[in-house]
Amino acid sequence: MSVLDELVAGAVEDQQAREKDVPLDEVMRQAAQAPAPIDARRWLKRADGIPVIAEIKRASPSKGHLSDIPDPAALAHEYERGGASAISVLTEGRRFLGSLDDFDKVRAAVHIPVLRKDFIVTEYQVWEARAHGADLVLLIVAALNDARLKSLLDLAHSLDMTVLVETHTREEIQRAINAGARVIGINARNLKDLKVDVNRYNELAADLPDDVIRVAESGVFGAVELEDYARAGADAVLVGEGVATAANHEQAVERLVKAGARVKASEQTPLSTHEGPYFGQFGGRYVPEALITALDELERVYAEAKADPEFHKELARLNQQYVGRPSPLTEAPRFAERLKEKTGLDARIFLKREDLNHTGAHKINNALGQALLVKRMGKTRVIAETGAGQHGVATATVCAMLGLKCRIYMGQIDARRQALNVARMRMLGAEVVEVTLGDRILKDAINEALRDWVTNVKDTHYLLGTVAGPHPFPGMVRDFQKIIGEEAKQQLRDWYGIDHPDAICACVGGGSNAIGIMNAFLDDERVNLYGYEAGGNGPESGRHAIRFAPGTGELGMFQGAKSYLLENSEGQTLDTYSISAGLDYASVGPEHAWLKDIGRVNYSWATDEEAMSGFKDLCETEGIIPAIESSHAVAGAYKAAEDLKAKGYEHPVMIINISGRGDKDMNTAGKWFGYLTDEQAKALEANGAQGNNADGE
Amino acid sequence: MTNANDATTPSGQPLGISHKPSPTEAMFDEFKADNKPAFIGYLPYGFPNPDYSLKAFKTMVEHGVDAVEIGLPYSDPVMDGPVIQAASQIAIDNGERIANVFRAVETVANAGGVPLVMSYWNLIFHYGVERFARDFENAGGAGLITPDLIPDEAGEWIEASDRHGLDRIFLVSPDSTAERLKVVADNARGFVYAAARMGVTGERATIDASPQELVARTREAGARNVCVGIGVSTAEQGARVGSYADGVIVGSALVHTMLDETGSLAVDETTGLKALAAKAEELAEGIHNARN
Repeated sequence: MSVLDELVAGAVEDQQAREKDVPLDEVMRQAAQAPAPIDARRWLKRADGIPVIAEIKRASPSKGHLSDIPDPAALAHEYERGGASAISVLTEGRRFLGSLDDFDKVRAAVHIPVLRKDFIVTEYQVWEARAHGADLVLLIVAALNDARLKSLLDLAHSLDMTVLVETHTREEIQRAINAGARVIGINARNLKDLKVDVNRYNELAADLPDDVIRVAESGVFGAVELEDYARAGADAVLVGEGVATAANHEQAVERLVKAGARVKASEQTPLSTHEGPYFGQFGGRYVPEALITALDELERVYAEAKADPEFHKELARLNQQYVGRPSPLTEAPRFAERLKEKTGLDARIFLKREDLNHTGAHKINNALGQALLVKRMGKTRVIAETGAGQHGVATATVCAMLGLKCRIYMGQIDARRQALNVARMRMLGAEVVEVTLGDRILKDAINEALRDWVTNVKDTHYLLGTVAGPHPFPGMVRDFQKIIGEEAKQQLRDWYGIDHPDAICACVGGGSNAIGIMNAFLDDERVNLYGYEAGGNGPESGRHAIRFAPGTGELGMFQGAKSYLLENSEGQTLDTYSISAGLDYASVGPEHAWLKDIGRVNYSWATDEEAMSGFKDLCETEGIIPAIESSHAVAGAYKAAEDLKAKGYEHPVMIINISGRGDKDMNTAGKWFGYLTDEQAKALEANGAQGNNADGE
Repeated sequence: MTNANDATTPSGQPLGISHKPSPTEAMFDEFKADNKPAFIGYLPYGFPNPDYSLKAFKTMVEHGVDAVEIGLPYSDPVMDGPVIQAASQIAIDNGERIANVFRAVETVANAGGVPLVMSYWNLIFHYGVERFARDFENAGGAGLITPDLIPDEAGEWIEASDRHGLDRIFLVSPDSTAERLKVVADNARGFVYAAARMGVTGERATIDASPQELVARTREAGARNVCVGIGVSTAEQGARVGSYADGVIVGSALVHTMLDETGSLAVDETTGLKALAAKAEELAEGIHNARN
């Protein structure tokens, strides 16, 4: 006899004993008099959360004694206060140590739906549940044949109760559907390690009609399993031990409810207006508590500014009169010709000219927006990191314009390579601090900026340069950069009479220029989106900054956000390498990580060699010298062309985001192509006159 | 046979909530009975090398440190000043491995101290939160201090620490709002780590009055035990802080004893351990007698 058979036999025996005292017609009479049931289906599915069914459970056959629960009503109260959507009460007495008396006490104590959980196989038990005021009953498919399942289900439905139909296999799910189940309990634990198995869930839930509510029933202990089930698509969860045995029951339920709300918020669409802190499973605020007050303030002030037409007016005015926006959308017919020669694809190609902005890159868009917020917050000091110059120069520029005190952190290695940019920032009144700790590159500059911020957060704003870092930075920086795509969309229509592009190519370091040009098109499935990371010497070389290719980045937390991260086997951050300092970063913005996971953006990489070849092509065909960062997008256009061809496009319209200008890269390029002798190159370095490696990404 | 799952009982059932009492709280109860604050000392594991550091942990406990904050060296420690950054780098360069930190935990426990680990979150996340909790519990660990993990992001850690009966030590800072203090106090176990000032770890000549107020506000928010760290480096400062805090945390000043005057190289073992012992004793004297 299986455990289930035994439990069912016991439950039937107990029921028969009760029936002797209270015959069926008496129970039916009581059921008729009971208050009408709550429609539990309305409590078990919602757009903004994962409803929690919290269980009153003293023991189970598998785990033995769990909790005494001397006062089930008080426990149910705590569950309800914690935000539970329904209470499940075990009424089986032999192994679960529950009773209908428990049920009555809970029913009287709470205003949310109550589930009678027992081994129900007779009509008497269903009537009895209703007589005691149950809104929901449990039916276990494995304990019932098809006819019985259907008749009990129909009976419960006829009494206006909701039925949670427990299943364990795909076949049982099919039987439940055939019988007319509307709420199905799914058990997707991997029996080997007892963890929630998302693949198993998907396999089980694959054929469920949309209007069936899916309740994850097994193994939900805390936020981890809830999140796994929710991301797999469960509508609600049933939790027993994790809440019944917690030291603080209300808090335990509340944690689950919050975790559910967070998952729902993290997957909200449309993509273009998705708000942080979470982008799918990415993002968040992995920072010291000491920064939370400042991040909260920034979030609040930014939300106010966003709703203030005056703020937008001022930003628009400065964008036009100071930055020189809109930046043009330039058609590149001779480059298109070269692309055709190389790939055979006959495309129309347009370049979004962020290189023509004041300071020579898209970075000013964000620096300007944030600097206006600094004014709004009443802070007086701005700090920023820079890999090799562009964001530092943009920040120093807007600080000079708005009269803000400015300090730029720069890794010592970058600062030495970038003596000219250091001079530019100083000329603009900024203090430039060389960071001599760690690897002395961009990430170390960010670490040092974070340390400064933790220390001086009262009067200081950290003007982060990309769509990475803790919330609200990724969403806020995107908002300041999305003008790139909005303009491009408009210009394509107004200047060229084209409704929409077929493809967009951008380079991805932290990812701000890419998000900037892509955001306006994220919800337009007709537009293929391509992001290109810095391939360095190629993914196998170990010398690159590719986070998305298989075998490169892993899920991790870095400088405030959860995203993909280049790390070693110990979880220590890896050194990255690229010919372009602006793409040379160990992690990537959390929104990109999400867009990769949901398959909206196609990410690949361009090696140093490919990027330099693209650089030369654009110089020669169009007379436009792109930043080496942007050259990764140019090189990527050849790769995108192959993909578009494979997809059947014959005359696609492509936009390449030229995120910055390449004057700064002349020394690197000159050496790369042999236009400078060694002596000339050395002389330039000695003069500090070189300008390579600005983070124009 | 290895256990395929980190979160199961030997019979294959998922682990439930551990209700074993917190050793850290037990320690504070004892100290409170004597009206004394506890002395919590920090050193990075593996600094300057793994074996030397085990001796250093033992030395600390033998010379007056009650609970040891065993630091896990990280490549990007944003809450740490130059001294701890340098020590962490030395440790990483000399072969520190997270899987061996449990030896340090055992060393501290065997010496009679309460073993705590301080780690930036990515290291634990990468090792596996549940796996870390299991190994840490097995080694006799008491709790984990998480400088860059706020309770709001700690779902996985809260669940794992509940299953393994480990303390969750979150930080608060002088500008934390009442609302934030409550979030931390509600989710903390063991004690709350109050930063004496805004900023990163490191020695300071003076300690201002703000930690006393922060300790009071954190207690008001519901925290049972509040310890103060960051910037406490002398016996006199320790005594001052110990007059109102449940525990005093010292890091950089102890690490400093094992670094040479350049600040980037470790001194030899005999010299280092001797200096460490002397500094620990001096601090313990000040802290333990804070209320006499």
